[in-house]
Amino acid sequence: MESPRALRADLFDPGSLAALGRIEIVARWIVDGFMSGLHRSPRKGFSVEFAEYRAYQPGDDPRYVDWKIAARSDRWVVRQYEEETNLRSTLVLDVSRSMAWSGAQMRGLSREAGDSTRLTKLAYAERLTAALSLLLLRQRDAVGLVRFDDRIRSAVPPRARNGQWRRIVAALEEPGTGRASSAPEALAQAARLINRRGLIVLISDLLMDVPDVERAMRGLRAAGHDVTVLHIMDPAERELPSSGEALFVDPETDLTVPASIADVRAAYKNTVDEVIAEWRAMFGSLGISYEIVPTDAPFGVPLRRAFAERQQLP
Amino acid sequence: MTFLAPWLLALAGAIAVPLLIHLMRRRMGARIEFPAARYLARAEREHSRTLRIRNLLLMFLRVLALLAVAVAAARPVARWLGSGHAPTALAIVVDNSLSSGVVVNGHPLLDQFKGMARDVLGAATATDRVWLVTIDGRVLGGSIGILRDEINRLEPLAGAGDPGVALSRAAGVVRASGLDAKQIALVTDGQRTEWQQVPALSDAQVLLYAPSTAPPANRAVTLAESRPTRWTPRGAVAARFLSHDSTTYRITLGGRTLARGTAAPNEEVVVHAAPPERGWVAGTVELEPDELAGDNVRYFAAWIGPAPAVTASPAAGPFVKSAIDVLRASERVTDGRDIAVVTGDELNSLPALITAPTDPVRLGTANRALERAGVPWRFGARRAGESTVHGAGFDGVTVNVRYELVAQAGASADTLAVVGRDAWIVAGPRYVILGSPLTADATNFPVRASFVPWLGGVLTERLVGEPGQVIAAAPGARLPRPRWADAISAAEGQRTVLGETLDAPTRAGTYFLTLGERRVGALVVNTPPEESSLDRFQPKDLGARVKSNRTLVVSDPSAWTSAAFRSAAQRSLVGPALIFALIMLVIEAVAIGARAPRVA
Repeated sequence: MESPRALRADLFDPGSLAALGRIEIVARWIVDGFMSGLHRSPRKGFSVEFAEYRAYQPGDDPRYVDWKIAARSDRWVVRQYEEETNLRSTLVLDVSRSMAWSGAQMRGLSREAGDSTRLTKLAYAERLTAALSLLLLRQRDAVGLVRFDDRIRSAVPPRARNGQWRRIVAALEEPGTGRASSAPEALAQAARLINRRGLIVLISDLLMDVPDVERAMRGLRAAGHDVTVLHIMDPAERELPSSGEALFVDPETDLTVPASIADVRAAYKNTVDEVIAEWRAMFGSLGISYEIVPTDAPFGVPLRRAFAERQQLP
Repeated sequence: MTFLAPWLLALAGAIAVPLLIHLMRRRMGARIEFPAARYLARAEREHSRTLRIRNLLLMFLRVLALLAVAVAAARPVARWLGSGHAPTALAIVVDNSLSSGVVVNGHPLLDQFKGMARDVLGAATATDRVWLVTIDGRVLGGSIGILRDEINRLEPLAGAGDPGVALSRAAGVVRASGLDAKQIALVTDGQRTEWQQVPALSDAQVLLYAPSTAPPANRAVTLAESRPTRWTPRGAVAARFLSHDSTTYRITLGGRTLARGTAAPNEEVVVHAAPPERGWVAGTVELEPDELAGDNVRYFAAWIGPAPAVTASPAAGPFVKSAIDVLRASERVTDGRDIAVVTGDELNSLPALITAPTDPVRLGTANRALERAGVPWRFGARRAGESTVHGAGFDGVTVNVRYELVAQAGASADTLAVVGRDAWIVAGPRYVILGSPLTADATNFPVRASFVPWLGGVLTERLVGEPGQVIAAAPGARLPRPRWADAISAAEGQRTVLGETLDAPTRAGTYFLTLGERRVGALVVNTPPEESSLDRFQPKDLGARVKSNRTLVVSDPSAWTSAAFRSAAQRSLVGPALIFALIMLVIEAVAIGARAPRVA
């Protein structure tokens, strides 16, 4: 018999999960799996409102069993609550050309370079965005979406009403990649879309200049927004394969770097660590939550990391 | 440091590969889309100095590894420590085969070899052990003075010697010396025919001298043969000569000139004679002297005596009578009763050529006659039907009627011809017995062209009543002792009693085999004809044939002399070179795998 953990879609391999259906379906599976993993959440004592009853299932906390109903009707039901919130959040998704890449494209250089089924950073980010927005909407939060490359590609204002999630998913399915990243403008636009303090989530590979991003982030923080950055990275970007020699071309800037991997592998890894440390330091100094999200990690991992503290999730 | 295979240093050209890779690295490789190229560029920019140094280090490591492999392939040797030479076991192998007697620039080549060997002896110290090994495998040890005297006494052998044995024994003595430095110093003319087989000398170092110059043209007697061996008294001498032009020759018999003449290259000369000498007589075929004197004379021997007196019974058939008439006309036989040619039933005495009776009724009489004469063979069952005869000189002979030849106890004979698995003609002491009558309906042998020469040979060689024969041998060869002789004597009269074997003398010549005081045969010792071919291996090719731990080939006499001892005290650098290459590759692997230092 499979364990409940094995049935949780949020813990599936992202490539395998994405192959099972469209963004909308996959995102629902992720959120359902993620929520079922919260059953033992210590949320009692918070300002939660009763939402509905549902049939008791093995594993439910007995504290939430309604014993009166059980005594009256001999049916075991548990009470479900919803947090009361007025959070307005905007997900800012980078759809630049650099995001449409996965380590599988380096397999011509080395067989060990990457799993051929691995999602591109954009595909991973889109599913993560869909799941995240659904998660927030189920918490009665208002959620919006901004997609950008070198300019704003689409913007969905934050709403908490029914149908919002479908609008977000539809926006995610729009074309619009292929240009360089320009996060400051997109972040400013996101701030404009939120007419009061809220949460802004930047989902990007952060292949952009730190000072520009820092300026934009500083403005968001000054406006009182909470900001979370999910740094999408393909594992092949984090660590190069062990051998190979090629001309490495940046698809956004056409920067060409000839290199023998054996020669630069260690130095490259050092540099990536340095860059991550720079981002972490900059975001940390601004009070911004920053998480690295590798594209081979199950979707539940970044969801949990990004919102465990803020949303009191485990 | 010297190289045993310096031409393999050309492999060092392979260092161009890492150099080219290093220089062309930035123009090579496929285009790979990589969004994080900015990090790569930054890594190269921030670590450029480290990377440049590391790349140079990798290039140098690879170049050094390739150079070390090329050096190892060239088989370097060098003296590692100290000066002078270490105590060395040295076997000087001097090729004193016949070909070393060739005169070059007015001096025998062997004199040059002896001078070189003396020079090597002069470099020996009290801690060295030195042997002199001649090409026939003779090993001589002792003090430097004794060896110098032995070298002075060296003369060219009459043959090729045995280079394999000489080298094996040389390797054996240096191996047994217990010294670390072992060397075989071989000086040879590199004659092709002599160095076809070379033993493996796995643990010995060989210093090889062979001249790279072409040998002088040589003339030689390559064949001297009496035909037949027994002259009655007529016979012939056959001779052949190796030369590039016509050459004059002289044939002697019993010290008397038998013939003189001029022969074309490779022409076989046959001189007929009926000399007055009797008994076993020695002869020579000689050429005018040339650069190699040792093969200008070739020896032969013949038995000369009266023609045997033969009588043939009418029952032996008309073919026998006709054949004996032919032999009588050529003075190979005469009329008389020394030898009888008879059918078995008519046999009264030996020696005799005995044929089967023509009438099967006479078979019993024939067997009783054989028994009375002491012939240990009987005529057995009659066999009819055409069968093929097998034996030397019996090509095309068939038989229709024959009797099995049944051996009796103690029968000892040569089988001259067989039909199927049965003997058809056998020969023993003073008899030859034939399993068919010599008639046309019994066998076609009497009408074959080979019949008369065969009958002449049987009558003059086998049944003549005088045992013995001519034995040909190379100088120094060891042969089985002939049963019909008990001693061997040189022409000068020196007599040596035969032992278990017959050891041919090392000097070419004719030696008589005796039984008591009577000459019963001859041992003719001649140089192998192939020794007269002076074609040489090139020194490098000869060196390649010598399978040893290390072979240093030189064609300069002074280089050979100076390399002796010094070369032996050197050590092979192949192992260290390969270890060095391995270390370079290990460092390279470590350098590739090592993390670049962090840049703050």
